[in-house]
Amino acid sequence: MKEIIAYLPFLIPIVAVELILAVTALVHVLRHENYRFGNRVIWIILVLFVSIIGPILYFTVGRGDE
Amino acid sequence: MDILKLGHVCKSFGNLSVIDDLNFTVAEHSVFGFIGRNGAGKTTTMKMILGFLPLCGGEIYVCGEKVVYGNTKTNRHIGYLPDIPEFYGYMSPKEYLKLCGQITGLKPVQIQKKTKELLSIVGLDGVNRRIKGFSRGMKQRLGIAQALLNEPKLLICDEPTSALDPAGRKEILDILSLVRDKTTIVFSTHVLSDVERICDTIGILNKGKLVLQGELSEIKSTYRQDSVRIELTDKEKILTLKEKIQRIPSVSGAEIYDKSMTFNLSGVKETGAKILQLLADEGMTVSKYEVLEPSLENVFLEVVK
Amino acid sequence: MRGYIAFTRKEFTEQIRTYKTLIMLAVFVVFGMMSPLLAKLMPEFLSSMAIEGVKITMADPTYLDAYTQFFKNITQMGIIVTLLVFSGCVSSEVTKGTLINILSKGISRSAVIISKYTASVTLWTLSFAAAAAVNYGYTAYLFGSHSTHNLLLSCLCLWLFGAFVISVTFFASTLTKGNYGGLLVTAAILGVLLMLNMMPESVRYNPVSLAANNMALLNNTVSTADMMAALGVTLVSTVLCLTVALCIFRKKIL
Repeated sequence: MKEIIAYLPFLIPIVAVELILAVTALVHVLRHENYRFGNRVIWIILVLFVSIIGPILYFTVGRGDE
Repeated sequence: MDILKLGHVCKSFGNLSVIDDLNFTVAEHSVFGFIGRNGAGKTTTMKMILGFLPLCGGEIYVCGEKVVYGNTKTNRHIGYLPDIPEFYGYMSPKEYLKLCGQITGLKPVQIQKKTKELLSIVGLDGVNRRIKGFSRGMKQRLGIAQALLNEPKLLICDEPTSALDPAGRKEILDILSLVRDKTTIVFSTHVLSDVERICDTIGILNKGKLVLQGELSEIKSTYRQDSVRIELTDKEKILTLKEKIQRIPSVSGAEIYDKSMTFNLSGVKETGAKILQLLADEGMTVSKYEVLEPSLENVFLEVVK
Repeated sequence: MRGYIAFTRKEFTEQIRTYKTLIMLAVFVVFGMMSPLLAKLMPEFLSSMAIEGVKITMADPTYLDAYTQFFKNITQMGIIVTLLVFSGCVSSEVTKGTLINILSKGISRSAVIISKYTASVTLWTLSFAAAAAVNYGYTAYLFGSHSTHNLLLSCLCLWLFGAFVISVTFFASTLTKGNYGGLLVTAAILGVLLMLNMMPESVRYNPVSLAANNMALLNNTVSTADMMAALGVTLVSTVLCLTVALCIFRKKIL
């Protein structure tokens, strides 16, 4: 574990980017009502708990047309 | 000069013939009403004029230049408003017009000037939010602005009012009347009252052919068939009246609706006098006597029979 | 030409506002950071998971392990994300009908496709370059300065493979209707190429080898000269895919 703490300066940027993705996607999910498939609850869960892949899936295939 | 000329245009989808030997011309500075039922081939014809659909036969000329399918240069003369215009939802109206202006090759100063002018004509000035939240009417108005951006010689509108509520429809028609002296308008519709409001020439499309074409006023007078409506105060007497009136030789097609009856006649003056005499002799009290204006609707229904 | 410039600018705006730029840069930068870190931490993870009594012996990780991780991530997830992000580029505009207005303004259909390709490849290049740079920096920090033998060539191969994949999605989406047809056809084409790669005679010319031989190039088990044929074939195929896409799109009914 100690070693992992030593690498925190490296882990933090990764987590930060993942967080940015998740938050942007979450905001988008909450501000839009139409999704190509799935519903709001499913997307909120996917976007928040499946790191990186969740937001990507949302923006590429899940996002509804404007 | 003819802005638009279609000669022997044919189009079929598979075995289904949609347009069959269509010929017409549109003169400069006229508002041409392109009328037909739903599915008569209006949109197909317009897409062929824009080079979006290949022709199965015939030729189309815009401003004397031939339209080629795919990459046509004639589109620089045309402003097109599709029936349901689609825009990039992530842009604001200004940004969209800027993009259109850049593509047509307007200078930045011109783009700014035209954008301001057009947005105020269509009532979208000061709307800076993105297009994705726009109502249908707003999109239609932006569509007109976009179509007029390059000062086209020919403005083609595909059913611009069909999807709109009465208020939105009036707005669009008002905008079109505003721009009619700047350009030639081809306007397709199945709403006849819209045509009567703004068109000066019309063409009626039926079964792939233009069954009637000409000046609206001329058509109305050629197809003039005087009709009269009489309304009685007493409902019981209407049947007797119908029977007696039908004996007058110049009267035809009498129909009864509740207390009133409508019929066609030739020579409003002479026959009218006879009818009034008849009413007086029978002692019938008339609550309404009306000579009806010929409507485009009657003409339309007659020619598409 | 002016249509091309205006439309390319519009494509960049679209990438930014529809979050494509964000996704691509975020994903690739994460790969760039994660790969060396994973390589460095892997022995510790394994030993912490080891059952008592069983001793896992592992050589100390080197910079080569970092690059192995990096190329593995990019060639798998990276390419999949790229596919997802760019596969709808042409088809979404066709299905929505947004191109009708634009085309009636007098831009040529070829300009539309070339603009879209320019913008897509630019974003791919930026993302990939960012990933490679971050990966290089992190690797240098964690493992010390290292030999970069054939590194540039290896990256160039992978970059060209990405550009090739994007051109295939363009070709596939002009060929099919709807939003997902293009994606499916592209997946099918890549699938066929992957299978072909199992035949030793074809490996030399197969574009897939550009994304498979990256480590071998660093290890020197594959030489620069060995890659030339595949590079040439891929370049020609990319141009071919785009040309065919242009031809189909010019006659496509919108």
